[in-house]
Amino acid sequence: MKTKMIFCIILLVTASTAGCLGFLEDDKEVICEVLPAGHEDDGKLRIISYDVLALSDSMVEQFTNETGYEVEFIKEDDAGGILDQMMLTKNAQQADLMIGLDNTYLQTAIENCLLQETGFTSNDNYQNISSSALEPYSGPLAIPFDQGPVCLNYDEDFVDEDNVTAPTSLWDLTSEVWKGKAAFPSPVTSSPGRSFMVATIDYFENDEDDTTNAFDWWRAMAQNDAIFTSGWTEAYETHYTGGYGEYTTGHIGDAHITVSYCQSPGVEAYYAENYTHSTSLVLPKATIQQVEYTGIINGAANVPAAELFIEYLLSPEINAQMPENNLMYPVLEGYELPETNGYRYHSDLPTENSDIEIERINDNMDSWLSQWQSATE
Amino acid sequence: MCGFIALTLTPLVYAIARLESVTGMSSITAIGGFFNGKSTLNALEFTILEATLSTLFTVVVGLPLAWALGRYNWSRIKLLRAILAVPFVTPSIIVAMGFLMLIDSPGPLTAIGIDLRLETGLIGELASATGWSNPGHLIALITAHVWFNISLVVRFIEPTLSTMNRTWEDQLRLLPGGHSWLSRLRNLWLPVLGPATLCAASLCFVFSFTSFALVRWLTPNQDTLETLMAKSGGSAGIYGYRIDTSEIVLSTSLVQLLILSIAIITAAAIQRKHSSMHATISESLSKSSSQMPTRPAKITILAGLLFAITPMLMVVIASFRVRNSGSTDTEFTNSAWLEAWSGDYSTTPIPEALSNSLVYCLITLAVALPTGWIISSCIARLERENRLKTAQLVEFGTMIPLALSAVMIGLGILLGLLKWSPNLFNWAFIPAIPHIIITTPFVIRILLPAIRSLDVTYYEQAMMLGLGPLKAWWHGKAAFLRAPLVVAGALTMAFSLGEFGASWVLIRSGSWDTLSVLIDQLMSQPKFNPLIQPMAMAAATVLMVLTFTLFFIAEKFRDNSEGSGF
Repeated sequence: MKTKMIFCIILLVTASTAGCLGFLEDDKEVICEVLPAGHEDDGKLRIISYDVLALSDSMVEQFTNETGYEVEFIKEDDAGGILDQMMLTKNAQQADLMIGLDNTYLQTAIENCLLQETGFTSNDNYQNISSSALEPYSGPLAIPFDQGPVCLNYDEDFVDEDNVTAPTSLWDLTSEVWKGKAAFPSPVTSSPGRSFMVATIDYFENDEDDTTNAFDWWRAMAQNDAIFTSGWTEAYETHYTGGYGEYTTGHIGDAHITVSYCQSPGVEAYYAENYTHSTSLVLPKATIQQVEYTGIINGAANVPAAELFIEYLLSPEINAQMPENNLMYPVLEGYELPETNGYRYHSDLPTENSDIEIERINDNMDSWLSQWQSATE
Repeated sequence: MCGFIALTLTPLVYAIARLESVTGMSSITAIGGFFNGKSTLNALEFTILEATLSTLFTVVVGLPLAWALGRYNWSRIKLLRAILAVPFVTPSIIVAMGFLMLIDSPGPLTAIGIDLRLETGLIGELASATGWSNPGHLIALITAHVWFNISLVVRFIEPTLSTMNRTWEDQLRLLPGGHSWLSRLRNLWLPVLGPATLCAASLCFVFSFTSFALVRWLTPNQDTLETLMAKSGGSAGIYGYRIDTSEIVLSTSLVQLLILSIAIITAAAIQRKHSSMHATISESLSKSSSQMPTRPAKITILAGLLFAITPMLMVVIASFRVRNSGSTDTEFTNSAWLEAWSGDYSTTPIPEALSNSLVYCLITLAVALPTGWIISSCIARLERENRLKTAQLVEFGTMIPLALSAVMIGLGILLGLLKWSPNLFNWAFIPAIPHIIITTPFVIRILLPAIRSLDVTYYEQAMMLGLGPLKAWWHGKAAFLRAPLVVAGALTMAFSLGEFGASWVLIRSGSWDTLSVLIDQLMSQPKFNPLIQPMAMAAATVLMVLTFTLFFIAEKFRDNSEGSGF
């Protein structure tokens, strides 16, 4: 009887139900037009974002005081989580505004009609957005609000004390001296990890060796015992020896190089009274400009409030706070990293960023991720 | 009853149907594909290894504790039981934080040469000598699982010992089959304690198998089936996008469901057998013939108490310890508490998260307790009517949530809402649904034995005396179940307070962040700012105090003769 019971229940839940529940296939259709509101307009502004540090309570309160719109956040883990959620709720969007998709995810959102046009492109502050922020995308569907170059960070103490030469090529990291000492957030689950993988594709397409590509390098890194983590936090905080992780609980400290932002050493110094032993590796084409966007969701119920929040986010008063509050560069011209505690001094600028078009990123991402997984398995 | 089973199974059927549709493969094909993937096989291998070792060590550590507690006459037995049982209701994210503090360098364990995190010294030598990758991480995980599950062993075995007629052993000593300790072990202890031990072991296996927060934080280089699904779960179920993740979630959840179903059925079968074997005399009668605790018994209990308390103390200490910028030096200050209380750094203030947590756990209580009561009454009635097979089937059905992956529950609820009522999507009470699904089986486990032993004639007599249905119900039934109801209610609230695994797939409204969500958010933030981690520990301390308060209330009402209440 028990065996029959188990069998029946397992059969119930695992039976081949594909096709039986036709409604589940509804959102296979792609219709590129402005969709009706996916939720009721109750006067609130609903924002889907990751835990954007700049969106503090006081900032949101100020917006509410100025505009009268209450704000409610739908929080996801990261940029990938935002896209996943928007894709999953495509025909019944539950937010009005998206904040946090970056240039490696944006095109997928655009091609899936997840965003609608904003009128912010005719705003004066739009004209003040830097060319580097508008380079990946400058259309009306998404507005950049912060940016920063993703690059490798390494521990200067390891290089100095062990007489190791700082890498001059990514291939150097496949040598014995870096064996088991590099930590990479997975491009499958991490936004900076994904950006860096894209950078490596451009890097190896433009190096002198035509016989190898990025995935040969990733394979060599895996064979050199590189550490792969699910997210930036695990790679930087748990494994990397050069960052603040060494002072936190659970630190392992087995990696002397990892993926982060070129301004991360500056952030370290900012919070540690101008002290850091982390520095960035700004090899040409091994860095990539990550631009984060905000955009009105196709299916938003409160478009006017979303427009106002974009204006607010891109106002000089708020955007200038990005370095302190979100640890990223502002996008408005004339605003820089602060000099306090060596923030700007320790933030290296890339020599030449990787420049893969976002359309190409979108077209190839699935294939790249699959190749990356095969190479690093 | 059908409603609860539907509430449990509907999300699962939704999730499976959607994943099959997205991947274009049947569940059977997906299970076949599971065994062709390197990452899935590695995760399965590690999950079985850690769950098996955790189970073995939990029994090895828990048995002496249960023995010492059950065989001797302790003056503060309720307090001892409560402290040893508290780990089981401690939110897993707090356990993870406590153990990270414990194994940290410098920390209490590294001070005695055991470095489980950086794997230097003895552990490093072990790794080099055996070629075993990250033995320290696995040892830390198993130790944390032992800590978490130890109360299962104590809860299941100690009542058997404390209610056993002591004269059995004396009589057996006089017989040929009881002369040596080995023969007494074979002829007395194994038959008496074996089923309870196996039952506890089965549940230890289930909880270690599905452990998420502990694996995530303590073994960062390894995946279990649960963490593998969690990583892929976000992008699963979307047409034409990251189909590989849908394949992983579909195949992995099905394999997990199969394995856990077997473990849970085993546990249920053993528990049924076990329940007919013990409780031969009352505990007070048994204790009257017990000795005062011996020195080894005192040492065992003291070690158990230290083991239970230390990780929790570490969390409290960590909430006051703030590192100085750019150095390993720390200072003790209440600044993190002040920041966490006021809610800076884009996080919800503790008082707001606390009130949200309380609202969710009260909703969960309001639904799970009556649901559990109704289902338990139904099972008991089926048994009284001698419809045993149906009763067993229903009982198994109510335990299904224990075998389900949090990812599948969350994904299924999300898909169901999208189909039937998208406007409910942002309804702040939606996250209570997984809480109800997860806590109801525990309510049933606690109420069922009490309802089984309820004499139905009391209710009939109350009716005959002319009391109205409500009064008859109160005087004939509810009054006799007051203690188990309080126990079930307090535990339901404690579990609801600590749960966040199932909720993460669901959209969370920022203004409704609970304490456990707040802890996770803080721990996931970049910690350039030295206050972030102590702030998380401050929130964890509040959650811990709240959970313990509820648990001690439950212990106060727990009937001494009913120890195995999980």
